[in-house]
Amino acid sequence: MNPRFSLLLILTAGLAVAFPPLPVPTVAPQARTFQVDAGQFAYSPSKIFVNPGDTVTLELVSTDVVHGIYIDGYDISFEADPGQTQTLTFIADKPGSFRFRCNVTCGAMHPFMIGKLMVGTNDWLYRSVGLAALAVLGVTISRKQEV
Amino acid sequence: MNRSELISRILVYAGVVLVIGAPLVFWARTPLIHARMPEYGGWSPNIIHANVGEPLHLKLTSDDVVHGFAVGQMDMQSVDILPGKVTDITLKFDKPGIYTFYCTRWCGLNHWRMRGTIEVSGSPSDSEPASPPLYVSLNLDIDAPHDAPVVPAQKPSAIRGQGLIPNSPFLQSFDYYRSNSPYQAFLDLSNTSLTEPQRWDVVAFIWRSNTLSESLANGKQLYAQNCAACHGENGAGDGVFADDLTTAGESSMQTMEGAMDMIMQSPVDFTDPQRMLGASPALLQGKILRGGMGTGMPMWGSIFTEEQIWDLIAYIYSFQFEYQN
Repeated sequence: MNPRFSLLLILTAGLAVAFPPLPVPTVAPQARTFQVDAGQFAYSPSKIFVNPGDTVTLELVSTDVVHGIYIDGYDISFEADPGQTQTLTFIADKPGSFRFRCNVTCGAMHPFMIGKLMVGTNDWLYRSVGLAALAVLGVTISRKQEV
Repeated sequence: MNRSELISRILVYAGVVLVIGAPLVFWARTPLIHARMPEYGGWSPNIIHANVGEPLHLKLTSDDVVHGFAVGQMDMQSVDILPGKVTDITLKFDKPGIYTFYCTRWCGLNHWRMRGTIEVSGSPSDSEPASPPLYVSLNLDIDAPHDAPVVPAQKPSAIRGQGLIPNSPFLQSFDYYRSNSPYQAFLDLSNTSLTEPQRWDVVAFIWRSNTLSESLANGKQLYAQNCAACHGENGAGDGVFADDLTTAGESSMQTMEGAMDMIMQSPVDFTDPQRMLGASPALLQGKILRGGMGTGMPMWGSIFTEEQIWDLIAYIYSFQFEYQN
């Protein structure tokens, strides 16, 4: 095989992996409620999976001191004292993976109190895996042609 | 530079220094009060002196988590104290005496042990003699068991009881409600022609008719802010700290002087009819005022006003009775 042709082939395959939309089955949006327990210095559950368009209600239960939740990218926040469960409802209309963190200084490890909100599938993970596999393939092919 | 210019320059500099410096010096002379979690020392200093009628300036900061500041039995908006920030507050006292200041944001298991005192000195203007609380004048032993021997089969309903109440001004009087337990009222209705469930419904109605709706709302708010973390948001004694309190035992009492042989119990379940229907409002008032009982229950007498305690009691009974359809 001519090296130029194989390079072109690899590049085209790379573009094909990186850009076209994945055939993701669209799920009808639904309302979901999660109870998130917050204690120094972690959330439980710390990972929340939803589908794009879902109406998400978070119930924040604080188990020791005042804690809060601020969701990066959505720019919404609320806080709860122990004994006073607070709720926050929002529509998860941005796909992707977002960190949420405590927005109330709750002690020494406060900056490390984080969790993750995942809206939809993380297709960039699969695309990156595909691209990496293609790169390895490209390198092996080119080395074989040199020999 | 001629002389007059020099003098005017000196004057201008002195003026600038005074305008900026005087408030700074004044501000720096106000002591800074540090707030820490009670396990690490609470308020320091925890005793503040003030004079009647003179404004008391305080500067507050937190060394660990979010705290709050308020003075008990005063109508004041609590302020939040944030780590790394200084909060200024000015108080004024009309009467001499010892006031309690306390933390208003949950800062851990022993949040309610985080208190200090403000000693306000001055000549008493017109001191009203303090009347003893109701449980004292009724001679109630607030530590004695008070379980109701009979409990209703279903939740008594004030709506159902409304039409059944016998025409007895004695039962409907406010003093009767405050000094008798629901079970006592149930007994006092035994000479009527009502069935047992109907008698319980009438009791619920008596309790509801002595309670203002705004008292219930106010009590609900006080309960959520101050009680729910231990007694549970639905009154079932299952708050987020309930298990911690039981396991912490004496170590959670360490900041209470002289409380050495405490037996920690879990917070009372307000939904338990046996325990609650045998308790009169006066008895509950005593328990809330004094706290203790060999448990982690704080003393509220120096924090709540009498009216706030009655509102809370009215709300606590709503865990036992159906007030709405």
